[in-house]
Amino acid sequence: MVQRDFTRNHKAVLISTNNLAHHQSKLTYLILQNSIYTYQNQDKIKDKIKELLDEYKVLKNSTLLKEETYNNINQEIIKLKKKIDINIENIEDYLMFNARIKNSLLFLTRHVENVEFLEIKNNEIFIKANYILKHFYDAKRIQDLDYLDKDEFLLHSDSKDKKVQDFIKKFNLHSNFIMKNFIDYINSVNSVLNNNIYDSIIDITTQFSKLALKDFEALDTFAFILFMIFIISLATIIYLLYSSIQKNHILQITSDSLQHSLTYDQLTDLYNRKALENKLDIIDKPTILLINIDGFKNINDIYGNQVGDDLLIKTANLIKSELSFIDKLDIFRLGGDEFGVLFENIDDKEILEIANSLEKVISKHNFIFKDLKLNISVSIVSNNIYPILENADLTLKLLKQDHTKRVMRYTDDLNLKKSVEENMKTVDIIKNAIKDDRIIPYFQPIVNLKTLKIEKYEALVRLKLDDGTILPPYKFLETSKKSSQYYEITEIMFNKVIQTAKEYPQYRFSLNISMIDILNDKLIAILYDCFDKNLATVSRIDIELLESEFLEDTKKIQKFIKKVNSYGSKILIDDFGTGYSNFSYFSELDIDLVKIDGSIVSEIVDDKKKLHILKTIHQFTNGMKMTNVAEYVESREIALILQEVGVEYAQGYYFSQPVTKPLENCEVTI
Amino acid sequence: MFKISILLFTIINIYANEPISPIPLDSGIDIEKAKLGKKLFFDTILSKDNSTACVSCHDVSQGGADSNTVSTGFGGKKGNIQSPTVFNARYNFKQFWNGRVDTLAQQASGPLNNPVEHNMNPKIIEKRLNNSKIYKKLFSKIYNISNIKYRYVIDAIVEFENGLITPNSKFDRYLRGELQLTSDEKNGYKLFKQYGCITCHNGINIGSNSFQKMGTFIEYDTTANYPDKKAITNKKIHHNVFKVPTLRNINLTAPYFHDGVAKTLSEAINIMAKHNLGVELSKKEVSDLKAFLLTLEGEKPTILESN
Repeated sequence: MVQRDFTRNHKAVLISTNNLAHHQSKLTYLILQNSIYTYQNQDKIKDKIKELLDEYKVLKNSTLLKEETYNNINQEIIKLKKKIDINIENIEDYLMFNARIKNSLLFLTRHVENVEFLEIKNNEIFIKANYILKHFYDAKRIQDLDYLDKDEFLLHSDSKDKKVQDFIKKFNLHSNFIMKNFIDYINSVNSVLNNNIYDSIIDITTQFSKLALKDFEALDTFAFILFMIFIISLATIIYLLYSSIQKNHILQITSDSLQHSLTYDQLTDLYNRKALENKLDIIDKPTILLINIDGFKNINDIYGNQVGDDLLIKTANLIKSELSFIDKLDIFRLGGDEFGVLFENIDDKEILEIANSLEKVISKHNFIFKDLKLNISVSIVSNNIYPILENADLTLKLLKQDHTKRVMRYTDDLNLKKSVEENMKTVDIIKNAIKDDRIIPYFQPIVNLKTLKIEKYEALVRLKLDDGTILPPYKFLETSKKSSQYYEITEIMFNKVIQTAKEYPQYRFSLNISMIDILNDKLIAILYDCFDKNLATVSRIDIELLESEFLEDTKKIQKFIKKVNSYGSKILIDDFGTGYSNFSYFSELDIDLVKIDGSIVSEIVDDKKKLHILKTIHQFTNGMKMTNVAEYVESREIALILQEVGVEYAQGYYFSQPVTKPLENCEVTI
Repeated sequence: MFKISILLFTIINIYANEPISPIPLDSGIDIEKAKLGKKLFFDTILSKDNSTACVSCHDVSQGGADSNTVSTGFGGKKGNIQSPTVFNARYNFKQFWNGRVDTLAQQASGPLNNPVEHNMNPKIIEKRLNNSKIYKKLFSKIYNISNIKYRYVIDAIVEFENGLITPNSKFDRYLRGELQLTSDEKNGYKLFKQYGCITCHNGINIGSNSFQKMGTFIEYDTTANYPDKKAITNKKIHHNVFKVPTLRNINLTAPYFHDGVAKTLSEAINIMAKHNLGVELSKKEVSDLKAFLLTLEGEKPTILESN
């Protein structure tokens, strides 16, 4: 817009100066015309002057010239006006002088025309008159002052003719007049025609254009700058666009690689659990094999992480190579020590074959690391029932518990989920029971077979449900061992049993502790703590040890026994004769009583072998200064036989079920 | 308006070469404005003592001029130069005998403020006119103003003066080819050209487009002190130099010349011929020239008839 305005204003000035020059030109032309022609309508001159002056006003008032840049131009224009005004004055004077010369010349011409009488009689005068007239016209044309520098432009005659004298008189009158006014006339013509107004206007125009050029250049520069800004903006936009596309690309690559790492295990060069989950969604009729390295943690601990990692890699490669003959499968690393193989649409029988063969190959394979040779065993689980992964995981858990099997297949019959659900329910039940103080010890009397008096009570843990139902330990104790609930239950039991012992000072009470518990420092601390708080009563508290397979640290157990003995407690071995029962116990541990397992006791009426075993145990234990308790005494016959054999104590339904409180009457009958 | 421009165009084209051009038929004025101007022109309210109106010195019944040698203004004071005609004054290239102003509007302020003429000033004029209900109503109607200002007064008067044209003179109609001149008139025009009268008296107003010296050939009265061009420029060569007056309606505007010395046309013709042309005219020649000059009388301006 600025540019448009400037261009328009600039044009306006140029048009104005152009018009001005034109008018001035035309004016000069009209003057020339006036001086040549005899008759002229002088309105033309007057009108042209008016036009010129009007155009000057327009120029003077041009918008553009009001700007400071054009100050000089304004000065020039003012000077120009002076010239124009002078010129107009000169024109007015010229018209005055020209009228004189013109009219008198005209007069002389006619004067000379109308003298037939002169032609005949006074030829010289006639000729002279013409001569003078011709000179006057020449002088006018030549416009040269010097041309009339002669005195010979007057007529003389000695003739007495009145007409002639009259002619001469009139002629000389005008001739003098012309000569008198000729200088003024010439000067006025010169001053009018030789004005340099036109040139001045051109000068002004040129100057103006120069200045305007600067402005135009400024505008051009401005426009150029704007244009450059535009181009730069465009370029910037394009660059930003390009850069954003690049970044997008990089983002895409990064996202892809992230996606990849999300689903990819770097170590083994296999896809990870996430990828497996994704794949499960896609494929049709999937079957999964979970391959878990047994005791991997131990390998890591013993040989170090480097070896552990290396083992994983080697195992992965082994699995890959073993299964390379199969088409549609994917191998994944699912955990620290677990691999998964996903098959599509495979036969149940075939999968089991693959699993078994794979297990054998891996267990036979010698894994070589620098100077080390390792063999590992794996547990493999297969599943094709939804939910694929979850069922496989549960099956693997179960398999891990079974040391005989290496390969297992999931079936709904396993009821795993139910057990999980039940497990979770049990946890809740235990939690509530602990909170509501519904962990209750039940007491089963142990009868002295000689005196037929109740001497001891075995404390058995029970859980009372909201509705009053009593749960036996097998329904909750194992579950409680998976969390700290076991400690809480144990502590409750200790305290409650001790409490009961306080109330029944005539009896001894025994608590059940498994040998593995003894290795648990926290549990033992609770026990010692209870004992310390109840030193008086504790001498009537005995410990029944339940054996389990992890019996490596017998020294620790012996330490425990010694300590416990110092409180006055006695040690009983529970369920002797079954499972892991071992005579070596007696060589390393100080046992006071041995409880003969119910599976032996309950059969002694009919089974001669079992009776013999019973007798042997009794003999052996007596020989080491230990007494026996026979468990599961359910009939009179059994009790009689036991009496006969000489077993010191008996415990069982025949005498009493476990009860909430010790019986008042300590006497029994057989 | 369109008709006029066509006519003008035709006229200009046909008579481009004739040194005299006819007056257009239509003045192109705003009639209502001009009527207001006419009222003002005739109103003595515009003089201090209510004695003088514009028309007093520019009498429309006397060819727009004054039949006295000089006019009488405020308080019976006399003017200093012959009153020029107001008719066709719009065609003068300048106004006043020495052309000291360019426009009619500028001219109007002259007599109004001149102590020996109207002896007024803009304030008094405004006051007097604003006190007049009629003028207030007229000005409000024409100019849509509530307060009469001096410049509107001038504007109205000028509009009226623009209407004072006298078209359709016999010579104009001859120029347009509408009629023929008599042989005397024709001869008069021929002489007018031959002797060089036309050198100064040319154009649409047959004069009034240049300055010339009264007494170009033979010096005219040098003693008197008239407002000539010398009064403006102070140059000796401008002594007795005046704006050339118009010859239109010349038979109505006696006496003649700036000093009103010539009482008749014949006198004027003879003085002109002697002082300005250096020519002695025969009786026949004077008579023919006079006959020609009589053809320059045009029709009365139509604005004067309308009310």
